[in-house]
Amino acid sequence: MQRFADEATDSAEQAFVEGDEGALEAVYRRYGDLVYTLCRRTLDESRADDVTQEVFISAWRGRKRFDPAKGSLAGWLVTITKNRIIDNIRAETRHSERRSGEEPAQIPTGAEIEQIAERLMIAEALRRLPERTRRVIEMHYFEGWTHSEIAQKTSLPLGTVKSTIHRGLGKIRCQLESADE
Amino acid sequence: MSDRPDRRDDAEIEAMLRGLDAEGLELLQPPPEVWEGIESAVRAGGEPDGRVVPLEPRRRRARRIVLSSAAAAALAIAGVAAWAAATGDPDAVIASSTLAYEPDSFDPLGAGARASAELVERDGGHRIVIVDAVLPAVEAEADLEAWLIRPDDQGNVADLVSLGVVDPAGPGSLAVPAGYDPALYSVVDISVEPRDGDPAHSGRSILRGMLEGT
Repeated sequence: MQRFADEATDSAEQAFVEGDEGALEAVYRRYGDLVYTLCRRTLDESRADDVTQEVFISAWRGRKRFDPAKGSLAGWLVTITKNRIIDNIRAETRHSERRSGEEPAQIPTGAEIEQIAERLMIAEALRRLPERTRRVIEMHYFEGWTHSEIAQKTSLPLGTVKSTIHRGLGKIRCQLESADE
Repeated sequence: MSDRPDRRDDAEIEAMLRGLDAEGLELLQPPPEVWEGIESAVRAGGEPDGRVVPLEPRRRRARRIVLSSAAAAALAIAGVAAWAAATGDPDAVIASSTLAYEPDSFDPLGAGARASAELVERDGGHRIVIVDAVLPAVEAEADLEAWLIRPDDQGNVADLVSLGVVDPAGPGSLAVPAGYDPALYSVVDISVEPRDGDPAHSGRSILRGMLEGT
């Protein structure tokens, strides 16, 4: 697995695996928003708070099962989060069925949770790209500039623009595959 | 992983990037009490070996069952099971347990039941495989359900997680959800669960046993 996390993140991840409580806080500061956003987009506020807590406590408790060689910590945390969300929704659905005897309120399906998680992982992967790579990818895919136009605007050779985009896509793919572990 | 058959190609990644909107990129910040809860739970656990005190499991109530087995208490006190390290060998049995019926506290339906549970590693996760099983048929509006229970230092139930419904005719294998370390969630329990919409353990266990390293 090609890794592209910066050295500071790798160091925090290593310390996390070794049981350094300070590293837990660093990991939370780094990925708390990612986990919480996934929870908020699928659960109400109160349950999102609960599940976010459960994810980090559970990750801390099971940190020896995280293998950096198999994928990123972000991907591992997102996998735990998806499972906890599904678990939570399943339990809540059964509760509401018992309470009201009516159909439960609109709840996301497993596929929808997967899609939300995947989009968040792409956004996360994008954020972790080197500044120049991220900017070139944003110009191309979000702002709609052609390769030639980007080359003109950034004064980069056309070949560099193309290879930067290609490498950036490869890094994003690695991050997504980490989340599939 | 470059040989993954389902590896995404550039076109797929490009389509996903184009599908991102402003909301997709925005991250929300959790309120401060979320971290405070994590920190207090971890600190309450003391030793950084993962034996933390979890938040009250609100949707997996454990009040209705107790672990009366002396073995459960003994192993819980001994700490994390010695087989915590995975073998890396797919389908190798990491730990196993002969599940037993406890006449004094279990549901009478389990009187003639027997089964063994094997913990295996597969596809980067863990599974519980139910083998050598003779399981009873349950009433019409009920199922058999398998659980993993995490005992506390006194052998009480600290937390539990459902592994899913067990088919008495062919129990097969059940995935251990990610984030639940079977070295901590080391007690396998099979119970009768009425289809009453309540996800909590019914208290009607029929078989139980503690996983031990092979």
